[in-house]
Amino acid sequence: MFNLIHVLNQFFAGVGGEDKADIPVGIKPGPIGAARGLQEQFGDRARVVATLFFGDNYFHQYPKEALAAALNEARQLQPHVIVAGPAFGSGRYGLACVELCEMFAQALSVPCVTAMHMENPAVGTYRDYHNPKVYLLPTAETAAGMTSALTALAKFACRLGSGANMGSAHDEGYVSRGIRQPVLAQRPGVDRGIDMLLAKCKNEPFLTELPMEAWDQTTPAPAISDLKKATIAVITTSGVVPWGNPDEFRTFRNTYWRKYSIAGVQSMEPGRWEAVHGGYDVSFMNQNPHYGVPLDALRTLEVQRIIAKLHPFYYVVPGNQGAPSVIRRIGQEIANDLLKEGVDASLLVST
Amino acid sequence: MISKELDRAGVPVAVISAMYPVAEQVGASRIVKGLRIPHPCGDPSLPPELDAKVRQEIVRTALKALEAEVRTTTTFVPNRSTTA
Repeated sequence: MFNLIHVLNQFFAGVGGEDKADIPVGIKPGPIGAARGLQEQFGDRARVVATLFFGDNYFHQYPKEALAAALNEARQLQPHVIVAGPAFGSGRYGLACVELCEMFAQALSVPCVTAMHMENPAVGTYRDYHNPKVYLLPTAETAAGMTSALTALAKFACRLGSGANMGSAHDEGYVSRGIRQPVLAQRPGVDRGIDMLLAKCKNEPFLTELPMEAWDQTTPAPAISDLKKATIAVITTSGVVPWGNPDEFRTFRNTYWRKYSIAGVQSMEPGRWEAVHGGYDVSFMNQNPHYGVPLDALRTLEVQRIIAKLHPFYYVVPGNQGAPSVIRRIGQEIANDLLKEGVDASLLVST
Repeated sequence: MISKELDRAGVPVAVISAMYPVAEQVGASRIVKGLRIPHPCGDPSLPPELDAKVRQEIVRTALKALEAEVRTTTTFVPNRSTTA
């Protein structure tokens, strides 16, 4: 037997519809609304000690106040597990569930589980947080899937409440957060790899041990109409930085970028620059940093007036083992800086 | 992935990479085939002046990529006679 709090929006708590979407965070002892269904699923395995609810609009209009109030209520009850949703396809509700779970897991160190449809935009937010204490279960798109969602949530919450070590997303049935867990395999990698290859050759099902991230689509930026008028910037993930690595980049999992001046520099002299990167042999790059920042070629093109100007700074982040969410943020920050500085186009040298 | 954020912001970008299949998979828009992972822009086995020529060709190919209207992932290959 363990205690939990069930978090719902105003609608599923039975407080009211869209007309009540502005109500602040509230709490009622025991299960109300959809939480009754959850309690039924638990039987005597767990107790819903309180139902916490909020207006869908309130949460997004006053996120700080909503999170603080929710934390204040939950802290006093000392739950073992927190369940939020199911939010199905509702974006407002789904995002509130993910944000609340993230906050509870961080502030109270309580395991949290939420549930929603895979196309709910909050699934992306959940993945970006990749918090090891927060889990998300897939549901149907609408509340027609309520019973099966509550069954899955109750089962999962019992796993969390038992204090068991949680296995992989595939084994436990939650949506992958991109966290890699080292496990001890019974057979060496070469045997497992050959098994997969043979299964693939025979058109039999097999399960990869390293699923690839599914990438979103982007529309390419329009072409440069006149290179002769263009300012070009260089971005590099090779890790070429001024000698001494003044901003203390690490050889892997960097979380920031820097730009360094190349104003008036005609050539990247070895000994004045060094490559910081744990993913490849940097000796060639150290001997000739032009392999990562092709400054000599661009200066020639500048003199020949094929391009108007090389931007006086180059941008760098050693791109080894970067988390996708961090790299996206770095990309956005560099893009903003390029726009601010009036750069027309860029070359990105990637190792 | 950095390049995709630049595309989103409207800044055209040519990705020079020896790991161009990865860039293709991730969905970069303008990709230029680089030499090798530890030295995408040049070939240290060549004499310095030829190495510089290879680099010049790679950068010129990248500029051509920036001038090209592309609708989807497109890979540009530098002239083989200089990068062989």
